[in-house]
Amino acid sequence: MTAPVTLRRRLAGLDRLPVALMAVFLAAAAGVWCGLWGTDWSTISGTLREPPSPEHWLGTNRLGQDILERLLAGTATAFEVGLLVAVASVALGAALGGLAGFHAGRRIDTLLTWVIGTIDAIPFYLFVAAIAFAMRGWPGAMQLAMILSFWTLTARLVRTESMRLREREFIAAARASGSTNRRILLRHILPNLAPLLLVQASLAFVAAVKAEVVLSFLGIGLQDSISWGIMIAEASQEILAGHFTNFIAASLALFVLVLSINSLSDGLQERLDPRVRRTPTERLA
Amino acid sequence: MFFKGLWIPIARPAVLALVSIAVIGCGRGETDAETAQKVYRHAIDGAPASLDPAHADNVYAATLVKNLFDTLYRYKYLSRPYELVPNLAEDFPEVSEDGRVYRIRLREGARFADDPAFPGGLGRAVTAADVVYSLKRHFMSETRSRGGWLWRDRIVGLESDATIRSADQSVAGLAAIDERTVRIELTEPYPQFTHTLAMALSAVVPREAVEYYGREFGVHPVGSGPFVLNRFDEAMAVLEANPGFDRGPVDLAAEGFDPQRHAGYDLEPIDGKPYPLVDRIEVHFISEPSARWTSFASDGGVDVVMVPPELAERVLESRSPLRFKPAIRERYRTLHGLEAGFVYHGFNMANPEIGHSADPVRDRKNRALRCAMRDAFDWSARNEAFYHGLGRVFPGAIPPVLAAYDPPFDDDSVTHRPRQARQRLQSAGWTADTLPPMIYGLEASIQQRQMFEQFRAWMQEAGFPPGHFQPRSFAGFGEYSRAIGQRELDFFLLGWTLSYPDAQYSLQLFYGPNAAPGANSVNYDNPEFDRLFERASTLPAGPERTALYRRLNRMIIEDCVIIGSLSRTRLYLWRPDVRMFPDREMVGGYFLRFVDVVEDRP
Repeated sequence: MTAPVTLRRRLAGLDRLPVALMAVFLAAAAGVWCGLWGTDWSTISGTLREPPSPEHWLGTNRLGQDILERLLAGTATAFEVGLLVAVASVALGAALGGLAGFHAGRRIDTLLTWVIGTIDAIPFYLFVAAIAFAMRGWPGAMQLAMILSFWTLTARLVRTESMRLREREFIAAARASGSTNRRILLRHILPNLAPLLLVQASLAFVAAVKAEVVLSFLGIGLQDSISWGIMIAEASQEILAGHFTNFIAASLALFVLVLSINSLSDGLQERLDPRVRRTPTERLA
Repeated sequence: MFFKGLWIPIARPAVLALVSIAVIGCGRGETDAETAQKVYRHAIDGAPASLDPAHADNVYAATLVKNLFDTLYRYKYLSRPYELVPNLAEDFPEVSEDGRVYRIRLREGARFADDPAFPGGLGRAVTAADVVYSLKRHFMSETRSRGGWLWRDRIVGLESDATIRSADQSVAGLAAIDERTVRIELTEPYPQFTHTLAMALSAVVPREAVEYYGREFGVHPVGSGPFVLNRFDEAMAVLEANPGFDRGPVDLAAEGFDPQRHAGYDLEPIDGKPYPLVDRIEVHFISEPSARWTSFASDGGVDVVMVPPELAERVLESRSPLRFKPAIRERYRTLHGLEAGFVYHGFNMANPEIGHSADPVRDRKNRALRCAMRDAFDWSARNEAFYHGLGRVFPGAIPPVLAAYDPPFDDDSVTHRPRQARQRLQSAGWTADTLPPMIYGLEASIQQRQMFEQFRAWMQEAGFPPGHFQPRSFAGFGEYSRAIGQRELDFFLLGWTLSYPDAQYSLQLFYGPNAAPGANSVNYDNPEFDRLFERASTLPAGPERTALYRRLNRMIIEDCVIIGSLSRTRLYLWRPDVRMFPDREMVGGYFLRFVDVVEDRP
């Protein structure tokens, strides 16, 4: 089992800027979780629409709430939604995709492939909005909707990869040495899928953060919380009146976070997937 | 082979038809150019679901219904305070000495518009039987009327338990004496009755059309109003002048024209002209304020805009006195005024945890809780944040536009006093652990969400623990309103627009028998209030009635039934080539028939 070591070694060469930006965002979110900042996002601490000042670095919104506090709390929300959806959807996709791939051609594979196809046939935002709307009132409705929608891509990839791996010699050797199907799946196939799952998780994270922003903007996202989507929706009422701070703060944060994760994701893919890995000369070119 | 044989017989007529269409089409283009139509583009912030008068209980439907149908009375175009004037009726009703019997004579020559629902597709004269049918159908289950409450228990034969199974069933208090005379007998004097006959809900419909279209009548309205419907969907309604509508020329003086007050609106040229004055009205339904503004600001967009509060800064030079910027005044015609209505927060008094309780001790404690919440509420900040500080905050439920408005006798109920709120809670024995949790209802809009956050912050300042108020959001107003009607929410925000200029219309919001799902959404149940309200309802206008109205208003303030209220200031801008004096409230849709556009409009 050498995969984790290889993975660590491969991750060591990632671009520094996206990693640094991610670290900043993570630190911002961690500060909120530890109660250091961002806890007073709903408190009215100033007067209406104050410009940036030493008390309110990014000014206040139409209620007199501190925009920076809301931005920081929104960062934590983005990570909470992104991490939960990424981990759960990739885990679900890996489990079901692995199951389907390992039993390719059997009834379980047919059933899972049909389920995946059916979910994929429904337009994403319609599907998420329908579930979020049907389960409104329950705080996890939006996250559940995203998990149910996002797992299928991972499942498709894992299924194909599993079908490829199960024909490999080391699987045949494991089978010959008396390993059970479960052991083969957990000890031999899934570890070989780790790089793929890591890349998938980063993509799911970005998709979840973006989807949360859109759903919250539409009013079917988070209920009693703050997020960048809610800030952008609030800003839509203010832009025509010439108040841009809320909009710029939330949009910029979203833009930088998404760009950082996308860069990280590309970097990961480049290093972990031998098919897209380039030589130093190619990279320079 | 088959196709080859068929080609020549089909091709020749097809080519001929295409050529004919092209020639006719070209000809029509020239005709249109010669007789350019006068088009006015109106905008409102919501789309009605139905144009059936029986469903016209909202401002969006009422705006259109008042133009497609006729009501017996309407409000004068320009008079303020609002004044009734006969519309389909020939004159004001003859009322018996005891105030219970009304005789109304219809004007001659009023006709329903041509429609396939009528024999031969030709409209017929409006008769007294149509008026009787139109009122009666509110009490037929298949109508699913939203206006029955206006006349239930008021008209003899339409008491609470009365049901009408067929349109032929007679009602003792409703009769067509002859072709043009209606007799209406009331259970007791109801001085506001004539006002109800100016509401869109009372518009006169032809039975043939209702039966012909069935449930589709809401999208195939057939009336005798100044316009007929050409198109109706979620985006807009297009109204075209009804050629059969003839009410003579506009009499500006009779409509309340005041050369001083209406100076600068260029209304004089419409005097003496037959109305409606435009050929076509497009009513655009644009719910998003910024989209409405963008449409107004662009060439070819809507002709009028009600400026959203967020944009007030861009158009106003000063708020007090309210004055538009010179650039805006040069470019557009402007108007501002207080709405005939208000917004307020209500408690569900049917919930014994916060409202009425059989236990007098708990009842007092609950009152202290509600009053503390009212003390904690900051109307001034609400006004500043959401209404650009232009709203008018007042105590109770009689808005400043009404004659019965009680000049702020006690501002205490609309003053932000967080310390007093805390004291009230402490003296009543409420602690963070014993305070009952409350469900706060809101529509899923960003503005309502912000209002909730603002409300929650004030309540926390007064000692309510975080998480005490559970927000429950609803996708649309219909769902939200249903939840209030089913008493699922403990605290909610509502708006109320007056349909006639009398305090009785707003005080009915607290009349016991109107409890949810009726207009009394707060489920206030006070026998003394009900007794006085019933007495006030039968009194003619005068000091005695005004005094009673004010007493009723003070009762709801004393009992802390609502946190309120605020009347919004409307800011209107419209293009200078449109001659009009817009009004969203009571005059509502009636003003559209008097809108004119200049001849050489680009």
